[in-house]
Amino acid sequence: MVRLRINDREIEVPEGTSVLDAVFHAGYDVPYFCSERYLSPVGACRMCLVKVGTPRKGPDGEWIKDEDGRPKIFWFPKLMAACTTRVSEGMVVDTLADEVKKAQAGMVEFTLENHPLDCPVCDKGGACELQDRAYEYGLFEKYYTETQNGLKSVLYTRYAFTRRHADKHHKLSEFIVLDRERCIHCKRCVRYFEEIPGEEVLDFIERGVHTFIGSEEWPLPTGFSGNITDICPVGALLDLTARFRARNWEFERTPTFDLTDAAMSAIWVDSRSGKIERIRAREHPELNEIWISDAARFGHGWTKEGRLSRPLLRKDGKLVEASFEEAAAFLAERLAAVKPEAVGLYLAADGTMEEGYAFAEAARVLGTPHYGFENATRFPVSTLPAASFIDLLASEFALVVGDPAEEMPVLYLRLQEFLKGITPAPRYFHGTPIADLRLEEYMPRRPERLATFAAYPTRLFAFAGVSGVYAPGSVAALFQALLAAMNGKRLPEVPGVPEEAVREAAGRFLEAEARTIVVGADVLEDPEAAELAGEIARAKGAHVIAMPPAANARGLELAGLYPEKGAGFGEAGAKAVVYAGATPPAEALKGASLKVFALPQLDALAQAEADLVLPTKTYYEKRGLVLNAEGRLLELRPAPTAPPEAMDGIEALAFVLEALGRRVPARSVLEARTRLHERLKVPLELPEEGTLFRPRVRLPARRSGEAGGTLYLRPTMWRARMLRDERVRRALGETPLFVHPETARAEGLSEGMRVEVVTPYGQAPAVVALDGRIAPGFFQLPGYGRGTGRRVGFRILVPSGGAA
Amino acid sequence: MGFFDDKQDWLEIVFRNYPPENRRAAVMPLLRKVQQEEGYVSEERIREIAELIGTTPTQVRGVMSFYSYYQAVPTGKYHLQVCATLSCKLAGAEELWDALRAELGIGPGEVTPDGLFSIQKVECLGACHVGPVVQVNDEPYVECVTKERLKALLEGLRAGKRLEEIELPGPCGHHVREEEA
Repeated sequence: MVRLRINDREIEVPEGTSVLDAVFHAGYDVPYFCSERYLSPVGACRMCLVKVGTPRKGPDGEWIKDEDGRPKIFWFPKLMAACTTRVSEGMVVDTLADEVKKAQAGMVEFTLENHPLDCPVCDKGGACELQDRAYEYGLFEKYYTETQNGLKSVLYTRYAFTRRHADKHHKLSEFIVLDRERCIHCKRCVRYFEEIPGEEVLDFIERGVHTFIGSEEWPLPTGFSGNITDICPVGALLDLTARFRARNWEFERTPTFDLTDAAMSAIWVDSRSGKIERIRAREHPELNEIWISDAARFGHGWTKEGRLSRPLLRKDGKLVEASFEEAAAFLAERLAAVKPEAVGLYLAADGTMEEGYAFAEAARVLGTPHYGFENATRFPVSTLPAASFIDLLASEFALVVGDPAEEMPVLYLRLQEFLKGITPAPRYFHGTPIADLRLEEYMPRRPERLATFAAYPTRLFAFAGVSGVYAPGSVAALFQALLAAMNGKRLPEVPGVPEEAVREAAGRFLEAEARTIVVGADVLEDPEAAELAGEIARAKGAHVIAMPPAANARGLELAGLYPEKGAGFGEAGAKAVVYAGATPPAEALKGASLKVFALPQLDALAQAEADLVLPTKTYYEKRGLVLNAEGRLLELRPAPTAPPEAMDGIEALAFVLEALGRRVPARSVLEARTRLHERLKVPLELPEEGTLFRPRVRLPARRSGEAGGTLYLRPTMWRARMLRDERVRRALGETPLFVHPETARAEGLSEGMRVEVVTPYGQAPAVVALDGRIAPGFFQLPGYGRGTGRRVGFRILVPSGGAA
Repeated sequence: MGFFDDKQDWLEIVFRNYPPENRRAAVMPLLRKVQQEEGYVSEERIREIAELIGTTPTQVRGVMSFYSYYQAVPTGKYHLQVCATLSCKLAGAEELWDALRAELGIGPGEVTPDGLFSIQKVECLGACHVGPVVQVNDEPYVECVTKERLKALLEGLRAGKRLEEIELPGPCGHHVREEEA
């Protein structure tokens, strides 16, 4: 620890702390623009200039004393940038001196010199760091000019001249627009791309007054680009999904969690007039830091259109609006003809634990074996012990089987930290260090720390010391080979992966002191592979982070909704089905005489098949508990955007059960949570940041639904429902159908050919993309969150004539 | 064909100067090689360099655009760089620039039809005592460029003379004032 004095306060901070953090830790403020949490400090903006002095030792090794006998303070000859100055023993920092104030006011003036005064039309207005700092530290109110009619008008700088003009609407991608006039060259976005996702796609172009942010890449790669709109201190980088939708103070801000993927990043849902307009990242130091994926940020457009506010009933083959009374009467009549044990109850992947409990309990009451949740994997993820991202950072080696960039994007960013050897920062009075001097630009990523295997070359391959592409379905063979290599036995063959790669990965795994195994949907869909991964972790000692394709898989399994014998989500078998929050593949409805959906909006399947559709809330609008992939229990808070009649899963289920005349296991979230508390010791009250909750669960793996097709569904961070938004569709472009050149030749397909692919999830256009690195004999298609990691049967339709 | 395809030995020598994990540091020598041999760095060369040093074209563009030495558009055989910072400006750099434009009939970013000349204003070349200063390609500065000296310079270059062979009329340098005095 280092003792130093900030103005009048003596404080103690860990060694290596920056003066900036020491000042904040002492409870004082210092303005800054270029520093940002989790990014390297660079001292670019010169806004944080403070007066710094240190005692000095004489040639005799003793402190040089002043006349009072105290260590004499030698002030640095000029003001220092607090963000890049390290604290030292006995240091004295003055942030209130006149020269400091003058310097800060001067920097504000310099920064405003070329900054347009379009705050009234700027989306950042009211939430702008420059605006705040100009008010706090600027001297602008001192400068006036007299207008012709004798009125005084405010000048923001002392010198009147033509401001620099630059491109005001430079689109960087479908999601982000850059206003080069507003940019103050803090370099946060440039550093973000290099340091966090490891894509160097933005840089300063030109120099001096001509400097602007530019890119040779258009559009910016989607995946993690949206975070730059959060960290931009001014309105230069803006979220196009939210641009001009509202002023900052008009938003209702709801702190909740994102259920697009199983990491469950902390988010702010900004809504206005009952519509979600913007999603921003919320800081959670242990979970997502201040970063979220583009899917989580930009994928909210679907919540706005076609929301149902009343039940829809099928009359004479058409869905028409009906009252709840009519709907109840209809249900009572039709359900009377169905045996209770033939009813199927199914919940979406983003259902809460309370909903999961209600569904599981209702199935028990009815005595039906048919229940489950969307994207439940054939191996229950809860059976694998959970580990947190912090455990990953404490490891020396990671074995990744899957594609974290798509399956759990936040984990991909944590893997980048892991490759650089960054450990969690110390916490200060103000939280995360703003200028963490351990972080630098262009920190080398150490490839020897990572081995990764997947069914196709993932983003992670570029950073891994060992990598390999296996043929879909041979992931069990991969784990057998890894285990054999670790035990010095003869290696079984793994289709697509050379033996040396397996040996090297196994060797490095054993050499490392602390290890983490990351497994994706491929592994969870293959019970044998998942068992082996668990066995390796147990036998050799390793943390396991599993990335289930269902966001709340751990929570729903714990709540008892993992199917045992009956027909699960998406499997035919039940005579009457209730699907809440998501629709299954059409095949699953075979043999069902009554189809009830509870959906926020109609989709093609519901339109064609539903007998009754109940209006429901999206996860942004629900209250409830969720359990993320780390085994972290989090509480959702509802944004005020649901139509007044929209129900949550519990209410929809109660509505159905009442029509059946059955006991309702829970009528409200609170009631369901109380039951969960009684049964599983789930806490009733949760801290804001959630809590680790990892009870031991053992569920039998499901052997049913063995996949045999040759179409492998790739994991994607984007979900099918997000594609309702035209902007998302434009950004993602045409869906590629990946195929090995040999297979393409055999099938008569060529690069760029337009085809229609018919999968269990429907028919969709795709463009053939040849890729020699993937296994021949298989086709690969982005799954958009449905059937992730599975192999399914399919047909390719080649349109006659035209481009094909 | 790539620019560096037949320069593998040269590349190896350059890369040996930098640690393998920091190969990106070789961006400058590579850019300089292209600039010297082709007179400008095209988009294609930027992509090629990015590929060679393992970074993105954006980063190469960022470095390249920082230095006025690297050109993004084709230049003539003689690229005339006129210093236009304060001292040279006071000594008549603007008039010189106008004269040059009128004489050659081109603006910045253009090349004379004979392919000989291109012009550019640059920031301080650090020879304030002998302004206005013009630099031709990588050669030593042409100092105290009056209209007469400019005319002689252009004539010499057109005649295919090397820069040091061209006789420039009139005195130049800090000794001028002494002689006059």
